[in-house]
Amino acid sequence: MSHAKPIATLRSATGIPTGRLAIWWVLASEVVIFGGLIGSYLLHRLGHPEWADAAAVTNTTIGAINTFVLLTSSFTAVLAHQAAEKGDGKTAAKYLLFTIGGALTFVCIKSYEWWSEISHGYTIASHTFWSFYYTMAGLHALHVIAGAIIMGVVALDAYRGRELHRVELIGIYWHFVDVVWIFLFPLLYIAK
Amino acid sequence: MSEHHDVNYKKIYFTLLFLLVVSIIGPEIGIVWVTLVAAFGVAFVKAYLVIENFMHLRWEKRLMKWALGASLAVMMLMFFGVAPDVMRHDGRNWVNEAAIAAVERGVAGHDDGITEGPTEMAGVAEPGVFSPTVAFNQACAACHGQAGDGAGPAGAVLDPPPANFTDPAFWAERDEDRIFTVIRDGAAAVGGSPLMVPWRNTYNDEQIQQLAEYVLEFRPQE
Repeated sequence: MSHAKPIATLRSATGIPTGRLAIWWVLASEVVIFGGLIGSYLLHRLGHPEWADAAAVTNTTIGAINTFVLLTSSFTAVLAHQAAEKGDGKTAAKYLLFTIGGALTFVCIKSYEWWSEISHGYTIASHTFWSFYYTMAGLHALHVIAGAIIMGVVALDAYRGRELHRVELIGIYWHFVDVVWIFLFPLLYIAK
Repeated sequence: MSEHHDVNYKKIYFTLLFLLVVSIIGPEIGIVWVTLVAAFGVAFVKAYLVIENFMHLRWEKRLMKWALGASLAVMMLMFFGVAPDVMRHDGRNWVNEAAIAAVERGVAGHDDGITEGPTEMAGVAEPGVFSPTVAFNQACAACHGQAGDGAGPAGAVLDPPPANFTDPAFWAERDEDRIFTVIRDGAAAVGGSPLMVPWRNTYNDEQIQQLAEYVLEFRPQE
């Protein structure tokens, strides 16, 4: 059976490869989703100085470790892209696996963090600060999990030398997830 | 399909790690503007580095920059459009009484007005100084309630329910030593519920002693 490429993957009126155009559009809409959430949080945080008490409880060390993990996984994602550009699917797959490892580490640390906070009574319903905290970090964590799953599929293809351009696309998405965390870290952990 | 980009990724990565360290150490100094620059200024620099060098937006067609810029602009419009209503708590013809009350309660040390706690509620933590009030509200109040009546929001689902320190029956067979032991070693150590976990890894003996004395203040006076 032959797999003819759909015409949409070949045609590009914008000069941007269709897949990459699509991923940028996804991210443009993500900017509004996360931006709206972060913007609403900022409005309330600035209007309510007493939230500092609640914010003082979050664990800066854990936040910092997770920032390190995501920055590192972004680095391996871009190395995967670099390898894919050279046509080296196996190396690209290897770096994507490292990136997935970063995603898993991030989720494990996040689970531990949430578990200890919830067991101390800081639940999504206990204060508006915590509602924002769990919603923003939770939506972000869902993006990490989704990215890791898609990366697994892309890595499998890349290992077989197929669809190497997708390595770049999942990478762009992954860096965006990293950028969102870069802002969530000071918002939720540093500004007390 | 892809273009080659001459970026020293390793250098960008180590710059990002260096900036991460700056954003952690900066706020430790305790000067407000240093904290803001270290936290948010650095975040913008980190985001810029990632977007330009890892996402290669620098080499992307102008169309895409405009599309992302439009998204950002819509977000800004939302923010600044509603900011006067949400951030301010009064205007020429209106007052947001609920928000003002929430701030007052919060600044006085109450947690968004769930319950009225005992008097002398100084809830604002001074860094490095242990305050039994703050510790109680952070560690205990979720289950036992800020008023010590066992009616904390997280306590509602616990079985057995959290102890009510304002109940005379609770004090019939308990003294300060026993409270101290339960806080330090957990209630299971004296045959109580394992849901009351030990706190010896969080607080030292002296702090637990202060917490026990704080709990004793809830005891009703006969």
